[in-house]
Amino acid sequence: MPKRQPISSLVNSLKEKKISVHELFDQFHKVAKENKNNSYNLVLDPDYQKSNIEASQERYSAGTNLPLDGIPLGIKDLFCTKGITTTASSKILSNFIPQYESFVTQQLLNDGAIFIGKNNCDEFAMGSSNETSHFGPVVNPWQNKNNPSEKLVPGGSSGGSAAAVAEGSCVASMGTDTGGSIRQPASLCGLVGLKPTFGSCSRWGIVAFASSLDQAGPITNCVEDAAYILNSISKHDFNDSTSSNYQRDDYIKDIDKKLDHKIKIGIPSDYLKNVTPEITAQIENTKKSLAGHDIEFIDVAFETTDYALSTYYIIAPAEASSNLARYDGIRYGVREEGSNLDDIYLNSRTSGFGDEVTRRILIGTYVLSAGYYDAYYRQAQKVRRLIKDDFQRVFQEVDFILTPTTPNEAFKIGEKLDPIAMYMNDVFTVPTSLAGLPGISLPSGLSSNGLPLGVQIIGNYFEEKKLLQLSNLIEKELSFNE
Amino acid sequence: MSDIDIKRISYLAKLKLPSEKEEFYSQSLEDIIQWVDNLKKIDTSNVKPLHNVTEATVSIRNDNIEKNNTPEDVLKNSPERAQNFFKVPKVVE
Repeated sequence: MPKRQPISSLVNSLKEKKISVHELFDQFHKVAKENKNNSYNLVLDPDYQKSNIEASQERYSAGTNLPLDGIPLGIKDLFCTKGITTTASSKILSNFIPQYESFVTQQLLNDGAIFIGKNNCDEFAMGSSNETSHFGPVVNPWQNKNNPSEKLVPGGSSGGSAAAVAEGSCVASMGTDTGGSIRQPASLCGLVGLKPTFGSCSRWGIVAFASSLDQAGPITNCVEDAAYILNSISKHDFNDSTSSNYQRDDYIKDIDKKLDHKIKIGIPSDYLKNVTPEITAQIENTKKSLAGHDIEFIDVAFETTDYALSTYYIIAPAEASSNLARYDGIRYGVREEGSNLDDIYLNSRTSGFGDEVTRRILIGTYVLSAGYYDAYYRQAQKVRRLIKDDFQRVFQEVDFILTPTTPNEAFKIGEKLDPIAMYMNDVFTVPTSLAGLPGISLPSGLSSNGLPLGVQIIGNYFEEKKLLQLSNLIEKELSFNE
Repeated sequence: MSDIDIKRISYLAKLKLPSEKEEFYSQSLEDIIQWVDNLKKIDTSNVKPLHNVTEATVSIRNDNIEKNNTPEDVLKNSPERAQNFFKVPKVVE
C-alpha cells in the first residue's frame, strides 16, 4: 500500500495553495466513484458538495481555515446525515433520509470536513466481516500474496470505512465500535482504528445497536490523523444522557512529546494462550521496537477473559432486540403490506431484516424473556461488572495493556459460515468494549501471506491523550509506513 | 430438535419466520445459548449488575421545548400518511 499524506500535511498543501479543495475532493472522489471494493453504499458527487467545497476554499483564501477544512472523509452508513440516505446497510432502512444530522458528523462539518459518501458496513453493525450488509460484501483492498485471486473480507462491522481508507478513496472514515467494529477492520486493513472511552463521543443520531456499548471513532492512516478527528468529535452532548462532561484534552498538542517518565505496559498472558506464532510475533515486535525507551513490560493475567464473549453475546443482542423494536414499517423505513396493523409489523420486520440481524433479535428476545432474564441477562450484567473490576485491578499495576487486535489475518469472503466462529474474531476487542475503556489498533506487521496484522493498546478511562502519545511512538518505532 | 420454543420467541420479537427457516434459527439459537452457558458457573451472588460503565457521568438537562423540526420533517419518511398523521389500517372496530 502506498504511503498516504496525513491530514496535517494535506491542510498545509491547501494553505500553501499547492492544491485546491476542489482538486483534493476530485482526487478521492474519482477512486470512490469506481467503488471497486463495494466500500460505499452512496458516493456524493462534486456537484452535491459544490457549496461546501467553495466555502472551504474561501476560508483558505481568507486564512480562516478550520481544523479539518476541505478534508474528504468517509462516513459509515450508520450515522444519520441530513438529507443523505442512511441505511445501516439494511433493507428496512434502504429508503430512509434523515431530517437531522448526527452529533458526531455535525462536529466534523463544523470543522470544515467534506463527506465523500456513506460507507458500507454490516447490517445494523452486526458482523465481523462486512458480509451481512444488504448491499453485498466489501472486499479488502489487500491481497494474499500466495493467492492473489482470493477475495478477502475487510473485517467488520466498519468494513466499508476501513476498505475506503485503505483503497485511498477518503482520507479517513468515521466508524462505530460495539465489540470491535472499528479496531478489527482497521487491523485487517493495515490501518489505525480508535475506539474512545464510552461516553466520549455522543451517540445521538447514530443508528443504535447496543446502546451501552456503541461508540463512534475514526479509522485513519496514522495515529496523528486519529487525534485530529478525535479533537473534532469528542465533546459533551446533552442529547445523549451517557455523554460524559469531563474536560477534553487537545489530542494533537504534544503528540510527539517524549515520554518524561517510566511507563508500564501489561501483556495479558491469557490473551496469548491459543494464538498462532504469527500473532505472538506482533506482540514481540512491538516490545522490541520500544526497547530504547523507558518502558517496562509486565506479564498480567485477567480472570474474566474466558467469559467476555459470552457476556457480550447476551448483552449486545438484548439491547439490539430492544433498539430494533422501533422498525415496524409505520413511521419510516420500508413497509410491507398487511391486512391489519400486526401483519404490517410482522411482514415489514421479517422481510426487512437479514439473517444475522434476525438471529440477534431472537437471541436478545430469548435472554430477556420471562423465565430466562435472571439466568442470562442479569447474570451477564453482573459478570460485566466483574470484567470492569478485573481491568481496574490490572490498571493498578500498569499504565497500558498491549494485546493482539485479532486472532487472525483477513480471511476469505464466505469462509466463516458458523456464527460462533465469526464471533470469535472479536475475542480480544470485546472485553475492552464491555469495560467501556479506550482501545486503539495499530498496524504491527505483515503475515506470511503479506496481509496486515495489528496490535491493540488499551488505556484507562478518558486517557486518550496518553494513549495516542504512546501509539504515535509505537507507530514511529515500528515504521510500518516506510 | 432443540428445546427452545422458536415460535414463541419469534412471536415476542414480532417476526414471522418462514417454516423452512424455523429449524435453522432454532438450532442456531440453541448453539449460541449453549455457548454462553459458561456464565452460570460464576458465583455472582454478591455482585451488582452493571448497566452503564460510566456510572458517574449521566448528565441531566432541563426539559425545555426546542423546535428542531416541523411535522413535515417528521412525516417525510412515512410510508403512508394522511394529512399530518401516519396512516395505518383500521385498528378499532
